[in-house]
Amino acid sequence: MTQFAAYTIIGLSLGGIFALAALGIVLIYRVTGVLNFAHGAMGMFSTFVAWQVFYGTPHTGMAPWMVTAEAIGAGLLFAVVLGLVLELAVFRWVRNRPQITKAVITIGVLLALQSAASLIWKNNQYHLPIYLAPQTSTFKIADVPIGANYVVIVIVALGLAFGLAAFLRGTAFGRAMRAVSDDPTAASLWGVRVDMVGAVSWMLGSLIAAVAGILITPFINFDTTSLTLLIVDSLAAALIGGLVSLPMTVLGGFLLGLLETYPTMWIQSLGLPRLIALLVILAVLILRSPRGLPAVAK
Amino acid sequence: MMPGHIVRFAIAIVAFAILARLPVGLDPAFQFDAALAVIWGFGILSLVLLTGYAGQVSLCQATFAGVAAYGAGMTVAGMHGGYLLGIIIGVLAATVLGVIVGLPALRLHGITLAIVTLGIALVFDKYVFQDHIFDWFTGGTGGWQVTQASLFGIPVDSSKHLLTAYDVMLALFGMVAVLMVNLHQSGAGRRFRAIRDSELAASTMGVNLARYKLLAFALSASIAGMGGSFYPRIAGSVSPQPFWVFTSLQLAAIGVLMGVRYVPAAALGGLFMAVVPDVLTRYGHGTFMNRFNYDISYDWFQLAVGVLLVLQLILLPDGVWGDIRAKALRAWDVVRMKPREEVRPA
Repeated sequence: MTQFAAYTIIGLSLGGIFALAALGIVLIYRVTGVLNFAHGAMGMFSTFVAWQVFYGTPHTGMAPWMVTAEAIGAGLLFAVVLGLVLELAVFRWVRNRPQITKAVITIGVLLALQSAASLIWKNNQYHLPIYLAPQTSTFKIADVPIGANYVVIVIVALGLAFGLAAFLRGTAFGRAMRAVSDDPTAASLWGVRVDMVGAVSWMLGSLIAAVAGILITPFINFDTTSLTLLIVDSLAAALIGGLVSLPMTVLGGFLLGLLETYPTMWIQSLGLPRLIALLVILAVLILRSPRGLPAVAK
Repeated sequence: MMPGHIVRFAIAIVAFAILARLPVGLDPAFQFDAALAVIWGFGILSLVLLTGYAGQVSLCQATFAGVAAYGAGMTVAGMHGGYLLGIIIGVLAATVLGVIVGLPALRLHGITLAIVTLGIALVFDKYVFQDHIFDWFTGGTGGWQVTQASLFGIPVDSSKHLLTAYDVMLALFGMVAVLMVNLHQSGAGRRFRAIRDSELAASTMGVNLARYKLLAFALSASIAGMGGSFYPRIAGSVSPQPFWVFTSLQLAAIGVLMGVRYVPAAALGGLFMAVVPDVLTRYGHGTFMNRFNYDISYDWFQLAVGVLLVLQLILLPDGVWGDIRAKALRAWDVVRMKPREEVRPA
């Protein structure tokens, strides 16, 4: 029973990361109509920037929490700049192209980001994670010890999801984003600055991808390809939410995390979780939305 | 035979004669590149059929090639069959996988198909090609060692007979390429193009969507498999790395970059994908102006592919070959003093 509970906790925190990554995909897809295959690669690059600041630069006389804050701050700042640059340099120019063309462009971005990161950080596997909470701090719920890092992930995932939902509903800019996602032409006639909205959604999406990437470092031996390929699991979670619904996306992330974790109680296999993600994708696409994805802004 | 057929046949023969002579006398590493270029050429040719003709997106073409490579390796090294049997088994295995991948494609199109095929490429990369459950198919961690292969009873091993394999592959590639150009004009080709332009319109006009989508996937997978089944023959062994998920992504990227609607783009793309990274990594190191040391690794090639793909899709949506072709046709019109046409049919 304890084992089952432990796997549940791992599954939930892994699911929280999937949920976060999927939120970024859904946000960018809804507002700009780009299904971003490079989402994992963007998160990967920002994560490595944070990692470089954490382990690669001298921190004499700084408290541990300040080092963590500095590293995460650098990673998130880089993510925002990366999102803005991609929007300004690439996606602004292809707004009226077919959806599939834009998706193929993101594959080019994926290849470029992955190989650029591989040039800087080589093809090594990295083991040293960025801990948000001290590794040793645990507390118990019903006799099951829970690492504080796992709890942080679930809280951050839920917090960002609700925060994003509140931002989209409650603020003027959030309403502008939803207006663009419904109909960019009509939104621009009502005075919404469509360019600005697109840029902000790319920056926000990139930021969320970076958070997901930084949070996953304690779980896996990460390298430039494994973080890039998390896109498949994130897409599976995003598809459970139909690529539109934020609450369903978060739910889908947690569900996928549990589905991928429970079998590892009996089977040790690197590939099996990917198979489960693929089966979830197939099940969702064929059973839930056989006519394709919901239409979004062109 | 119509004149067009004769012209295409003649072009293919001349191209074969030139290309077959090219790697003669080069060192074995370049002969290997030449053979690899044909394998990736088959991979991109399979995309021309699936994406360029039938409009179905696929990010798992290297998986089809990999399944064929393992099928051929298993037949030759695991069951001691002849190499011809290995190629047949390999292509059959790829075709079966193509039909299986085509089944969900009956309900999906566009972006959703891209997601599913990316998932399939990842599952085969990390699970089927690497997990111990599939050791009977992949030959375990070392992969199959194909050193004692024989074709028509003649022993051929990869190190000494690289050019023989290259010529056989090139001839096969030429035949498939001519068949592909002919297919474009045929009834099946017209149905593929109708599906590409609009599935709804195609089915309204009586095209059997299920049959022709499955046919496109089966043909495409078997073309990719034809190249892949030669891989153990030229490399001497099979390993997951050449057919991993990033090869599939690169095939798609280079296919689109070169012009995914055109058959010659496949030859161009295969050559680009096999030769350029090898030349870069072999000669791309030294000192520039006696001061700056540089050392170009494989990653620079993939970086260039990614950047070029983005630029191409913004600036030349029809790909490199499509752009060259359009300019050449325009120049020909100028020579013949014909008035400018707005649109040329593909």
